[in-house]
Amino acid sequence: MKFEGRKYVFIVIFILIGIIYTFKLFYMQVVDDSWKLRAQQIAEQRREITPPRAVVFDRNGKKIVSNKTYYNLMMVEANIVDLDTAAFAKLIGWTVEDVRNRFKEIIVGEGKYKNPHTGKTTSNYQSIRAYPFLKELTADEISEIAPHLEDFLGFYEEVSDMRNYPYSNGANILGYLSEVTQEEINKDNFYTPGSRIGRSGIERFYEKEFRGIKGVKYIVKSAMNNVVGSFENGKYDTTAVQAPPIHLGLDVDLQAYGEKLLQNKKGCIVAIDPSTGEILALVSSPNYDPNLLVGNRKIRENYPALLKDPAKPLFPRPLASEYMPGSTFKLIQSLIGMQEGVITENSGFPCNKSVVGCHSHPSAQSVTQAVQMSCNPYFYAVTRKIIQQGKSKSDVKDAAIGLQKWSEYMHSFGLGKRLETDITGLRPGVIPDPEYYDKWYGHHQWKFSTIRSISIGQGEVQLTPLQLANVAVIMANRGWYYTPHFVKSIGNNGPLAQFRKKNYTMVERKYFDPVIEGMRRVVHEGGGTARRARIDGMIVCGKTGTVENYIGSVKQKNHSVFIAFAPMNNPKIAISVFIENAGGGGGTWAAPTASLMIEKYVNGEVKDLAKEKYILDANFIN
Amino acid sequence: MRQNQSLTANVDWPLFVVYILLMLMGLATIYSAAFDSDHPSLFDFSQKYGKQVIWLCVSLFLGLCVFLIDSDIYRKFALPIYLFVILLLVIVLFMPPINGARAWLGVGTMGIQPAEFAKIGTAILLARFLGTININQQNKSTVLIANAIILVPMVLILLQPDAGSFVVFTAFLFVLYREGVSYDPLILGILNLIPIKGLHFKQTWIGTHFIPILFVTIFLSVATLLISNNSFELSLFPGIEFPGYAKMLFFIFVFCLIGYLIMRFAFSKRDKKRAALIAFLAFILAGGLTYAVNYSFQKLAGHQKERIELVLGLRQDPDGDDYNRNRAMAAVGSGGLLGKGYQNASVSSVESNHVPESETDFIFCPFAEEWGFVGSLFLVLLYLFMILRVIIIAERQKAAFNRIYAYAVAMILFYHFGINIGMNIEFMPVIGIPLPFFSYGGSSMMSFSMMLFILLKLDSQRKDVLN
Repeated sequence: MKFEGRKYVFIVIFILIGIIYTFKLFYMQVVDDSWKLRAQQIAEQRREITPPRAVVFDRNGKKIVSNKTYYNLMMVEANIVDLDTAAFAKLIGWTVEDVRNRFKEIIVGEGKYKNPHTGKTTSNYQSIRAYPFLKELTADEISEIAPHLEDFLGFYEEVSDMRNYPYSNGANILGYLSEVTQEEINKDNFYTPGSRIGRSGIERFYEKEFRGIKGVKYIVKSAMNNVVGSFENGKYDTTAVQAPPIHLGLDVDLQAYGEKLLQNKKGCIVAIDPSTGEILALVSSPNYDPNLLVGNRKIRENYPALLKDPAKPLFPRPLASEYMPGSTFKLIQSLIGMQEGVITENSGFPCNKSVVGCHSHPSAQSVTQAVQMSCNPYFYAVTRKIIQQGKSKSDVKDAAIGLQKWSEYMHSFGLGKRLETDITGLRPGVIPDPEYYDKWYGHHQWKFSTIRSISIGQGEVQLTPLQLANVAVIMANRGWYYTPHFVKSIGNNGPLAQFRKKNYTMVERKYFDPVIEGMRRVVHEGGGTARRARIDGMIVCGKTGTVENYIGSVKQKNHSVFIAFAPMNNPKIAISVFIENAGGGGGTWAAPTASLMIEKYVNGEVKDLAKEKYILDANFIN
Repeated sequence: MRQNQSLTANVDWPLFVVYILLMLMGLATIYSAAFDSDHPSLFDFSQKYGKQVIWLCVSLFLGLCVFLIDSDIYRKFALPIYLFVILLLVIVLFMPPINGARAWLGVGTMGIQPAEFAKIGTAILLARFLGTININQQNKSTVLIANAIILVPMVLILLQPDAGSFVVFTAFLFVLYREGVSYDPLILGILNLIPIKGLHFKQTWIGTHFIPILFVTIFLSVATLLISNNSFELSLFPGIEFPGYAKMLFFIFVFCLIGYLIMRFAFSKRDKKRAALIAFLAFILAGGLTYAVNYSFQKLAGHQKERIELVLGLRQDPDGDDYNRNRAMAAVGSGGLLGKGYQNASVSSVESNHVPESETDFIFCPFAEEWGFVGSLFLVLLYLFMILRVIIIAERQKAAFNRIYAYAVAMILFYHFGINIGMNIEFMPVIGIPLPFFSYGGSSMMSFSMMLFILLKLDSQRKDVLN
């Protein structure tokens, strides 16, 4: 054949194409990874699963914070195809207008991001990202919607968990959750739009311990964005791990009882187990039901009202309210006086009402008596001796030296600085030091007589009820304290290391006994100021305080203050009570309240029903 | 004729085995890609894999029928067979259109595509015509009739319209080339109109090698448009932007160099100078052609440019016009070396539906995704083996009819293979034609099987033929 040679043209073409195709396939499938990424974009979806937050138990194993399942209706704009807005609005029971507005709201709500380099402003909103369109639907509500979602591409349901509080107590301790902000998302990739974060209380302080470990599920999605199945049989999936349960030192029954006692009153109760530093109850009154701030819907409904309420229910008074301590402060003054050697336990000072006012009582002949009778002139004299020790010939220089020393003592009692309790919103209180008065009066422009009101816990001195309860702890322990804390254990781990370290005051153990004897007499002896704090069969040691206070220059009713611990020789509870503008003295309202709390905690039940009724009936708000 | 031979005598078993292997691999891939967990049985005839089992059996039955009939009838009845398929192609134009094309004859799902069978009819008549003893390849009537045999079904198919089958019919032009049909009568007719005294062409190189030159020209033009569009940077020379056209020139240069080296070894001493000249001329001509194409493309008006870019798939529009190819490439490319495993395709399963037609025209996607490069290479080698085997069969025929028919089969298979796989890997525009023996579909399975069985039958009787 003449043209037989042409067969080689064919053979060469076939083999050439075969080689070219093989090389291209090798490049695409083995060398180049970009098509694998593209395939991932097209067909795979990484879904993160957020575990429910850790549950919380009280000291007796009662579950006080749990989770409830809710549903979100999620939306991915890029996947929406030909949305029949009218039908969709009908499905979720909205108007078409509402649906349109919600779209705008989602886009605007994400805010804008200004690129610091280019100066360009872009929206944070991304059409390929999932956003909750409807949030916090109940199982009933979603069951109406979910079966019809296949008609509305780009929408799908998602399970979410929300907090549930079986006891409606301790809102200011537990805190609440709310949606993360864009900044929080940028800072921590744990969060995605719609995630919740602890906004206050221990939920905020222990955010990382609460949130657990996210799970990841890789799914194969179809061109219509339906889930087809798990990717490679779930080879790369990880399960979400809920954080281990958190146990609090809180006694929810005691907490509830305290909240009940303070009904119709502004004030606080802080009760601590002195041997461990665990906070047993931390009552802030008025307060709110934590279930009011669960989920966006309820937050939107209830938060503004709570915020506007003049009684400030959202304000954690025991942590953040700084009060003058009044006469309760005298306990510390007497301890410092003895430690500094300016008095002994048997020092006596006349009740000289010309320097500072006092009530009628015989002059105190000892520290014990002075505490028992709460003699103002006595502590004026003691504090004067502490501040003006004659270490300098100049009165003003001498006062500065003395006050410096005094403030250091106070700091060792956990005053004038923030206690590092495991909660947010703590205030440090005020313990004035020389620097403080230098700012007020000028350097060396002041001496003891200028600042004398600090001697009886008035004037510039301020502390929080938590700090005052901690003073009661120090009295109960005769000189040391664990930093008060809420969390007893996280899973199998005990409290954080900083709560296992004893803090010693600068006052030696031996000086506590006369003061504590005075505290016993305050409650149990005839001349004491807190006879209403007596409990049958238990020795209670306490100290009253009556705090004068002003709004502007208008004198208000006194605050009633009381600190105590009990039983005297084996203290199980240390407590501080503040009742604002109750009138009367510390013994009238705060002392019986404290004793009811002590009785409830130590004995498990309150037998003195008359006292209970007396407190429950008291109303200082209206 | 010896009629007492057994049915299977002289059957080319390698070709038959590859055929069976491809069909089974195709069936397995369809079963994986179109799997419906509600209908897990392979023999569930409501599903595509169940139906493919039927097509497979019907095809084998047709093959048996072909083997029972003496192969001589194709030569004898070439014209009636051709006219019959042309009639079908005419009738189909009066059928209601499905998906915009009047390509289906019959009712509902049981229809057939006459275009598939027209390939057989055309191949037979072409073989009959060019296989005539004493045919003159230089004759004007030869080239005209041969082209007419190809062009008539092509025009009818274009009227359906079915671009894929239309393109496949150009495969027959290569058969003309193999048989030495010269286009000189046509080209000389034009050239000799030029009124220059003393200039009279008797034979041209272009006319002799018209078909390869035509396709090389088309190939170079398309490649220029594809490659020259984007300028590029080399990491070796950072900051310098090369025009995309430079890449094209480089490829041509390398190709010519390789060609020159091959020719140097292949040619006798006397022709070594000619090799250099041919390589140089080829470089100048190809370079000039690509430059002209590139230059005129850049000068085109915006909307014309855009249209060409769209047709060639140059527009980067992964979710729009380029959707299919982009999804297909993602599926193939994500297969990796060993693939994702059988029934584990995530991009190209019918259920996820990212790659449309993943059980018919894009069947290579699920296969390549599940079996990776190793599987893809195996499939490419199988097809290459099959096509080269057909060429070997063709060249051992005594009868010109048999040889021409075999070349037609080889070219048709090569076109389907090249275009179908090529559109998954960016080398071909998306043209909807099936992968032979592999894709789901009754018409293509039956027509390709018949085509192959006729070849096998012709081959098995090759010694009987006297002419």
